Amino acid sequence: MSGQYIAFFVLALIALGGGIFMLNLNKVVHMVVALVFTFVSIAGIYVLLSAEFVAAVQVLIYSGAITIIMLFGIMLTRHQDDGQSTGSPLRKAFALLGTVAFGAVMYIGIRTLDFGSEAVGLHDKNTEQIGIAIYSKYVIPFELASVLLLVALIGAVILAKKDDKEAGE
Amino acid sequence: MMMEQLLQSTPSWTNVAIFFAIGVGLLLVVLGFVTYGILAERKVMGFMQGRIGPNQVGGRWGLLQTVADVLKLLLKEDTIPKAADRPLFILAPVIAFAPAFMVLAALPFTDALQFADIGVGLLYYIAVSGLTTIGVVTGAWASNNKYALLGGMRAAAQMISYEVPLVMSVIGVILLSGSLNLNDIVEAQKDVWFIVVQPIGFLVFLVAAVAELNRTPFDLPEAESELVAGFHVEYSGFRWAFFMLAEYVYFFAMAALTTVLFLGGWHPLPFLGFIPGAVWFALKFSVVVFLFIWFRITFPRVRADQLMEFGWKVLLPVALVNIFVTALVKQLFF
Repeated sequence: MSGQYIAFFVLALIALGGGIFMLNLNKVVHMVVALVFTFVSIAGIYVLLSAEFVAAVQVLIYSGAITIIMLFGIMLTRHQDDGQSTGSPLRKAFALLGTVAFGAVMYIGIRTLDFGSEAVGLHDKNTEQIGIAIYSKYVIPFELASVLLLVALIGAVILAKKDDKEAGE
Repeated sequence: MMMEQLLQSTPSWTNVAIFFAIGVGLLLVVLGFVTYGILAERKVMGFMQGRIGPNQVGGRWGLLQTVADVLKLLLKEDTIPKAADRPLFILAPVIAFAPAFMVLAALPFTDALQFADIGVGLLYYIAVSGLTTIGVVTGAWASNNKYALLGGMRAAAQMISYEVPLVMSVIGVILLSGSLNLNDIVEAQKDVWFIVVQPIGFLVFLVAAVAELNRTPFDLPEAESELVAGFHVEYSGFRWAFFMLAEYVYFFAMAALTTVLFLGGWHPLPFLGFIPGAVWFALKFSVVVFLFIWFRITFPRVRADQLMEFGWKVLLPVALVNIFVTALVKQLFF
């Protein structure tokens, strides 16, 4: 058993544990904190896969920014933050069926998946490789993504502005 | 070099013990810094205000003042409010402190004294330090106290607003050195420090760094005159000490990061190369620490709306212009 396996098992355990806790906890804030553990351990798994840049960005964006925004939203909107389970037995049965079907499909899909030969040299200047790939091979998808983000940004500004005007009237 | 060998050897309990010992060693060094950093801060603040500062416990210089304060804190009753959210209240100081200690691993103190040579060291620092805010916000929420919650909210808003200019201001450094690795960044400053080439970037970084550290003039999350004590009102004793410790460890880390990014790390001034790198690093580090203390005692606290306005309308555009100019300069002259 190499150190990598031990690290993978620990990280996977925390990631799954965080997910399960998130589903089972009752208070929304507790769920978000559980989610943070999942995010961080997934970043750890990226490190194991020699994707250190993606790992750092995962922590920066998901564990940092998105979690804070979620906490912010939850705390600023006063609502009943104790959720109780709803749904009839029939609905629960359907949910179970859906979960099992999803699991089966994913299992079959992953089992026969072939990534080709394992990429080598990923850990060597990882960030530089990503940069070169984005700006030479994938420029158009990258630009499209930035336009999409710009649209979202302007959309958010417009929504916020409209709200402000109505409040002023 | 020793770290490299350790990391690539087969895992064994000896290695676990060695890593643990190194970690404890670093923790003790940091605790030593925090103890005397606080004393230095109180002394400098005292002198600047025409006072003497601590001068009773531990001789004329008050050398044992902080030790006594910490002992007092540890002996204090550990209170958890009845209406608090117990598990989160206990977990929050841990979430706040752990990342503070984790970022230290990536900082190169000298070319030999470093714990992890991470390829994306700079990004790692910024990403991991963001996690502390989650601890602050959950602690504030779990306290079930309006002042605490307000402080926590301010901390979150401030962190999001000032992380953007902080990252933008170091992009100039990244452009010039061509790397996110802190070792490479220091190496790129062998001849000229980046503070000379990137003065605007340095100023933006310094302001954003003070804001990220939640220190005066940006100490709104714990503005004692408005919010009692901010996010840690309900905390006492050991747990409160953890929040304070996290704050001062970041102080340590941010001063070290400033030294690494802009002041040339362990590189000496010309003709003074006979002084070892560690001494140079410590000197520059102390200058930055002194600067932060000086800020604290000089500036009044800004208002919450001024804080946001300054971050988004002044610092961010300036940082963006700095990136643009740096890219132009690099294309034309390098």
